[in-house]
Amino acid sequence: MITYDHVTKIFGEGANAVTALEDITLTIEKGETVVFLGPSGCGKTTILRLTNRLESITRGNIFVNGKNIREQDEVKLRQQMGYVIQDIGLFPNKTIADNIGVVPRLLGWSKERITKRVDELLTMCRLDPDVFRSRYPAELSGGQQQRIGVARGLAADPEILLMDEPFGAIDPINREQIQDEFLKLQEKLQKTIAFVSHDIHEAIKMGDKIALFEQGRLVQYASPAFMLTHPKNKYVADFVGADRALKVLGIIFVRDVFNPCPENIVQGLATAKETLAFIEKEDINYAIVIDDDKPVGYVTPKILKYEQSPVRDLVKAFPDHVRKRTSARDVLSFMLMHDILTLCVVDDNGNFAGTVSYNDIQKKIRETYTGEMKKDKGDRL
Amino acid sequence: MSVLQFIIANYKQVLFLTWEHIYMVGLSLIIATALGVPLGIIITKHEELAKRVINGANVIMTVPSIALFGLMLPVLAIIGHGLGKVPAVIALVLYSQLPIIRNTYVAIKNVPPSIRDAGKGMGMNKWELLREVEIPIAVPVIIAGLRTAAVMNIGIAAIAAYVGAGGLGVYIQQGIDRVYPEMIISGAVLVSLFAIIVDGAMALVERIVTPTGLKVQKRLVQ
Ligand SMILES: Nc1ncnc2c1ncn2[C@@H]1O[C@H](COP(=O)(O)OP(=O)(O)OP(=O)(O)O)[C@@H](O)[C@H]1O
Ligand SMILES: [Mg+2]
Repeated sequence: MITYDHVTKIFGEGANAVTALEDITLTIEKGETVVFLGPSGCGKTTILRLTNRLESITRGNIFVNGKNIREQDEVKLRQQMGYVIQDIGLFPNKTIADNIGVVPRLLGWSKERITKRVDELLTMCRLDPDVFRSRYPAELSGGQQQRIGVARGLAADPEILLMDEPFGAIDPINREQIQDEFLKLQEKLQKTIAFVSHDIHEAIKMGDKIALFEQGRLVQYASPAFMLTHPKNKYVADFVGADRALKVLGIIFVRDVFNPCPENIVQGLATAKETLAFIEKEDINYAIVIDDDKPVGYVTPKILKYEQSPVRDLVKAFPDHVRKRTSARDVLSFMLMHDILTLCVVDDNGNFAGTVSYNDIQKKIRETYTGEMKKDKGDRL
Repeated sequence: MSVLQFIIANYKQVLFLTWEHIYMVGLSLIIATALGVPLGIIITKHEELAKRVINGANVIMTVPSIALFGLMLPVLAIIGHGLGKVPAVIALVLYSQLPIIRNTYVAIKNVPPSIRDAGKGMGMNKWELLREVEIPIAVPVIIAGLRTAAVMNIGIAAIAAYVGAGGLGVYIQQGIDRVYPEMIISGAVLVSLFAIIVDGAMALVERIVTPTGLKVQKRLVQ
């Protein structure tokens, strides 16, 4: 847990004084990722550098796990925090393996343990250990170097991570994948993370909470969903973008909105006649056909009329299915593309798990906007 | 009699004088390194001191060597070493300070701040940062300073013959006194040869101690 208590940082003195941070008070709970967001020069890097005492605090206090950092040995303090610096700052005289292994070596880990850890981290960063282990930083592209910077920060498995635009130089495809990888890891490890970004997309994706800064002041501190739906003022609204309703779709997932037991289900072996009767009785427009637990398609009264065979031979197939972890954004895009308002949800084995409809998503968005925020973890809304 | 004949005829003396020369330059370089490198590192952490120290070394550099020997003579005479190797080695140590301190200071200062911050931020203490990062990155430039100092000192050591320090300068000094051209030229050639060899050797050392990663970086930047 990191607590900022009325923290102010002023660089320089007299006429040259620059107030980089002004009266910042916020808490990063244990296991939580907070994204420090804002335009260039708003103090994001400074707040990280105050946290590990690379800069001194002008006024106020910072507490790490309840202890005032002013009263701690700065080397010990830094060793319990991984630090990924904005400018990457790899050691040019050391190999990639030695760069990553720096902190573990300072902490006195055994050689074998360090080697194992280095390979593990390289793999996580999508770099082949056999290729990269013994290279030097100069032989890597900017994006690859940045990934090594992230790996180095994670190396000793610190409880707290300070990450300053850690994915800024990585190409979009690799960035998405590394972000995903990182989120998966974070779900497991539950580290306390201060994450700097100037990219609203990244902030929404990575943050449990977002702290939005403007010229050294904290403007709003809230969950991504809350900030998107309840921007505090025009600055926040402008920063999150005019398309913020669409951005909300990125943080709603099928698992949050789908219907696990829809009523319009028929088994594949049912006859056309039975199904037609079922549709009329239930007063629905179509039925979804399940065969051997797998959704095989849907049937409408028009298709079923004058037919005799089992429905599984009559279905119109769905263009594709979605997973519980698919975002509402992708689902909607799919619906628009295929001109269809309901899709089947399947599990990883392709078995039917429910349906998701346009209305389900819309209802959820409406709920979000009226402020029905659930606080519990895991569920990000 | 040609220069070569002179050297062959007097090879025993040549070897002895060369040895004296090596001894003076080598000893002074060791002492100068032991003083200058730590001093150069210390002043990177104390900016106020840095200006004074480097200015001081600059002033020493501007004093002509003959004048320096003259200045030291009465002082060292008190302990009975007004002439000989002691004033020579002291002078060489003093002259070496500027290239050694300045190069060390500049090299450490030039370590990119992002690298230093990364090291500090990960919890290296000052000493670990120096040992693992700053010195390895600075070492090529530090060695270049030693190289300059060594080559320069070979020349100054030749002048030290005038205060009775021995070395190859003896041939030049005595040759002039006796109007003996072969002797003068032999001394001059041997001193120059020695300087060229040391320069080459130091270049090799520079290459050897440069961390591989930095060599790779240099190659790729070109
Ligand atoms: N060492 C320093 N001395 C003087 N001013 C500084 C110093 N470091 C930062 N500042 C100033 O403090 C303010 C905040 O800087 P900071 O580096 O925290 O910005 P940032 O939000 O990280 O920006 P970016 O997104 O460009 O990295 C800026 O106005 C900057 O000029
Ligand atoms: Mg920054």
